[in-house]
Amino acid sequence: MLEFSTDRLLPNADLFSGYTLGTAYDEMFEATDRPRPHYRALYRRLQLLSPDEFRRRKAMSDLSMLQNGVGFTVYRQEEGIERIWPMDPVPRIIPAGEWRQIERGLIQRLLALNLFLKDIYHDQLILRDRVVDPRLIYEGAFFRREFMGATVPRDIYIHVCGTDLIRDLDGRYLVLEDNARTPSGVSYMLHNRQVLKRVFPPLFEQCDVRGTDDYPAALLDVLKYIAPPGRLDPTVVLLSPGIYNSAYFEHTFLAQRMGIELVEGRDLVVDGNRVHMRTTRGLERVDVIYRRIDDDFLDPLTFRADSALGVPGLVNVYRAGQVALANSIGTGIADDKGIYPFVPDIIRYYLKQDAILPNVETFRPLVANHLSHILHNLDKLVVKTVNESGGYGMLIGPASTAAQREEFSARVRAHPRDYIAQPTIQLSTHPTFVDGSLEGRHVDLRPFVLCGEKITVVPGALTRVALPRGSLVVNSSQGGGSKDTWVLAE
Amino acid sequence: MLSRVADALFWMSRYLERAEQTARLLDVCFHLELDLHGVGAGPHELHWTSLAATLRQRVPSAHLESSTPQAALSEWLMFRADNADSILSCVSRARGNARNIRSALHPAQWRELNKLYWQLSDAEFRERARESPHDFLHAVECGNCLFQGICDSLCNHDEGWQFLQLGKFLERAATTLRILDIQYHLLTDLSNPLDLPLANLEWAAVLRGCQSYDAYQRLHGGRIEPEGVVGFLLARGDSPRSVRFCLEAAERALKSIEENSTRRGLSHPERILGLMRADLEYRGLDEILTAPLHVFLTLMQDRCAEVSRVVQERYSLQ
Repeated sequence: MLEFSTDRLLPNADLFSGYTLGTAYDEMFEATDRPRPHYRALYRRLQLLSPDEFRRRKAMSDLSMLQNGVGFTVYRQEEGIERIWPMDPVPRIIPAGEWRQIERGLIQRLLALNLFLKDIYHDQLILRDRVVDPRLIYEGAFFRREFMGATVPRDIYIHVCGTDLIRDLDGRYLVLEDNARTPSGVSYMLHNRQVLKRVFPPLFEQCDVRGTDDYPAALLDVLKYIAPPGRLDPTVVLLSPGIYNSAYFEHTFLAQRMGIELVEGRDLVVDGNRVHMRTTRGLERVDVIYRRIDDDFLDPLTFRADSALGVPGLVNVYRAGQVALANSIGTGIADDKGIYPFVPDIIRYYLKQDAILPNVETFRPLVANHLSHILHNLDKLVVKTVNESGGYGMLIGPASTAAQREEFSARVRAHPRDYIAQPTIQLSTHPTFVDGSLEGRHVDLRPFVLCGEKITVVPGALTRVALPRGSLVVNSSQGGGSKDTWVLAE
Repeated sequence: MLSRVADALFWMSRYLERAEQTARLLDVCFHLELDLHGVGAGPHELHWTSLAATLRQRVPSAHLESSTPQAALSEWLMFRADNADSILSCVSRARGNARNIRSALHPAQWRELNKLYWQLSDAEFRERARESPHDFLHAVECGNCLFQGICDSLCNHDEGWQFLQLGKFLERAATTLRILDIQYHLLTDLSNPLDLPLANLEWAAVLRGCQSYDAYQRLHGGRIEPEGVVGFLLARGDSPRSVRFCLEAAERALKSIEENSTRRGLSHPERILGLMRADLEYRGLDEILTAPLHVFLTLMQDRCAEVSRVVQERYSLQ
């Protein structure tokens, strides 16, 4: 069925014709028509595909996504619009050497962040030693003072972390941000691989791609590891806000692959300081909850009283050690963008090591000379709100209007804690199928790190791609797509 | 299993069965329409009136008073979103339920249902359906068959599967009872010998509407007798379309659901189903037909609704 006849090798039908390199680091090409060594096999394969054939297969992959309901729902005025999250079929490749460094860096980072959280919610040595300004903690929107002094199973706060990496002009990997609350995207990492294998099997030939299928099992291991002591065969559930959540597909996907029940808040009930789920045979005890609901909505008795998504009394059971939560409560202070600039210091403080993966240079309006630098260079910087994610509340200087800069200037001066600024980095580009041929589009990289008995990184990641030409915003809510990401074996 | 999941499976199965039934009944009406032109005199709009009654649809009068009432009625039954029981609404409600419990489904179950939904929602497909409804109605039938086939051959026959069976067979029993109730009443009026060809066509349509025409013909050749149809659709033990078969299947599903339960004795829904089955099995058709059939069928329909209500009461601890 899958044949690549040579008559398609017409020079004018080449997918790569007209591919131009910009100033950014290109993942595939080191120079025009000269692919990097780890991309050569793929490059040759792609050259054998005509744009029409490529388009036909891309349509197959889109249809498969639609029929499998892989995507998210955008809500505007009550009416939900279901969208698939488009996958670009040209995979992104990471050679073994680069991956080793990424892996080491991520493990180091998560180790430090978990030590940091334990410290923050107990002795606060790092604040006493003035490595981190206590005001940053206490004024942080995601610091949970309700949780001071509480012990968590095995001292692990962040069990699942999605760290966003980008590459600068020299191809250096930099950490853009950590997602330590309820990171999503891993289902796309897994699903993209399935679809690509089905639709473009020949691309995999001659490439030694490491498998990612182990992720659900590894996650389940982590969840069972934190079960309350004495529960031999713990009942693990995934707590989802339900179908209106944009990551609902992921919740169902993971629950299914782990073989655990997906529950909503209304399925759970607290009784006798234990959590139970309502089943056809009565109440059944729950031991571990992989929760995909934010802290604020978890328990109306502790956090937002108006939330109907959570379970009344859950936090109390958690404090008593009769149920485990992943991730733990209050981890948001670790991925707060206001804390982000200090992560290299945090790593040094707890591990006595230098950060393997550097941060992006960051300016903090709270520091006087940073503030003046920010205000004078708004047209060159990216300004981010510390408590927002998903590409919202951002000013991209080079693409902004004078009025927008004016507005941000006023906001930054009024609320310096709420903003950070970074130089506009030309994210690396990757060949991406647009209008019948391949063009360079900016990408980032989100690997997923699991922390249980040990810290593991599944050899794969979600690559998000900004589909509009020149755009640097890769978020799915802002017109982004995704790519399968191949980590090569040694 | 989670109560919410059980409830969603039960209703998902009912909605799909309902969509299929509506599709089949509509399809039969369209065919009857063509056949009747050759029969000559007689009340030709009978089947359209009974269709709405069978489906218990309160069709807005604006639809019926339009210049093309049949087109308006089929539009109402096939596509209208403001009709909660239109085919499209049923499929979309079934898919909504499936989405809610997606992680509890086999991926193939979800995919088939999702495919059906997108197929029926496609504007071009719907446009073609207005000209030639058969393709559309056939797609609905096939969609449900495929879905149920996946359930039977790919999924574990576990508690969730039993709730699917329960929903499917209860819905089918209820619809078949209603079809019989309405049609028997209307068609026994056609006793004039001149009306015989018409009555024959109409009774064949009843059988077709219950997907039983061929099975019936294999047993009884020649002209279709009303009593034969009633006997077949009510009490035939080996036809999966008969009420008796549906009730037995529903009872089996309930037994299996209760199997590992710590609760003792027959459950409330089991008791009602047992009563209904006993009526069909032990009273015999002759006795049933000596009394007004309508009274008997009404009682049976009420009991079906009661089963559905107590099932929800018992398994959903809300």
